[in-house]
Amino acid sequence: MNQAIVETRELSFGFSRKKVLDELCVSFPESEWAVIAGRNGVGKSTLLRLLAGVLFPKSGTIVRAEAARQEKIGFISDTLSLFEDWTVERAIAFHCRAFAVDRFDDRLFTRLGLGQTVRIKNLSAGERAILHLSLVLSQQPSLLLIDEVMHMLDPYIRDLFIEALIEHMAAKRATVLTVNHTFSEIEKIPERLLVMDGGRFVVDEPTEALGGLMKKVISREPLPEALPCFFKKTDGIYKEYYIYPFREELRAEHGLEFQDIALAEIVKAFIGGGYEQKRMA
Amino acid sequence: MNLTIDAKSPLPAYQQVIQAIKLEVLSGGLCDGDLLPSIRDLAKLLKLNPNTVAKAYYALEAEGFSENRSGSGSRVRVPAGRRDALRQAMFENELKNFLEKAVSLGFSLEDIQQFIERIKNEPSHR
Repeated sequence: MNQAIVETRELSFGFSRKKVLDELCVSFPESEWAVIAGRNGVGKSTLLRLLAGVLFPKSGTIVRAEAARQEKIGFISDTLSLFEDWTVERAIAFHCRAFAVDRFDDRLFTRLGLGQTVRIKNLSAGERAILHLSLVLSQQPSLLLIDEVMHMLDPYIRDLFIEALIEHMAAKRATVLTVNHTFSEIEKIPERLLVMDGGRFVVDEPTEALGGLMKKVISREPLPEALPCFFKKTDGIYKEYYIYPFREELRAEHGLEFQDIALAEIVKAFIGGGYEQKRMA
Repeated sequence: MNLTIDAKSPLPAYQQVIQAIKLEVLSGGLCDGDLLPSIRDLAKLLKLNPNTVAKAYYALEAEGFSENRSGSGSRVRVPAGRRDALRQAMFENELKNFLEKAVSLGFSLEDIQQFIERIKNEPSHR
């Protein structure tokens, strides 16, 4: 296992009385692409903000490797907020000062044919995202934290965005942590999937193993209690039951048809509203 | 080169990369001594994690399919004789899968032979 670039120890966080993270312990090694999924408002963005150092833990600690000191953490929030009246040029100068960047990497920005005299408020969502990505990549980050921004990008810019991440990861062995709703395009990229619920990770598996660990059963009848049903969708005539952790012996024991599920479907199921989550003990 | 990855396939991406490169060698698209694309370039081309491509390359090297001398990149190491043996093994494997499927559908070997005869005699196959 590679050395951890960042890890949390019993990290807790909340807004007023609402607990968002509950003694969360997780570790991310060097050169890993991990995806965090989960319902809206479950705390994914909060975790990214804590890891980025924009928020501070209520209790517990975040341990960062020397390689992941503040100016080597690239963070893209889902709001893509910059001062609206500034020109691109001014935003770049500001970011470079704040993160001790020598040279702004303008390759992506130039590929879009954008100049630096444009005001931020006149950029499209895609152009903003590319500007943000260019800013954080200029930091030569060892840790990239990217909240869900891909869904607002058109296919061309999304490709550009993803290619730039792959390129950076190959060049710098960077760790990439993304929060994703739209997932199908990058389905084969991440090596680890984490699903958040109740302030913790309820799934944390290598994506390669996940196909064997999570199966779907479609049935009109309720399933035997003994099956490890992780969650179910029961709004139609045919109910969908997601089995996790799945073992091959279950096929013989229950004589049910356990279907394979694509990673994108797993992620979508965890996000969508139409399921009843069965809380793990 | 014509390498593609099927995102819907349950086969792990690194195994798909291994298969795609082997197929490319067997079909003559890549020859003995040819340089494989760099890990970075192939990762970008296929929209894959660089670690996935690296894993496939290590596996190909471990199998003796390619080698990375002096770290200047991976080169195909499949002499013509070995390529033909591999091609035959791959075809036999495909044929075996096909036959198993046919038998599970209730066809006998005689049925299959008859099918082949019939297809052979169709005008388009003459």
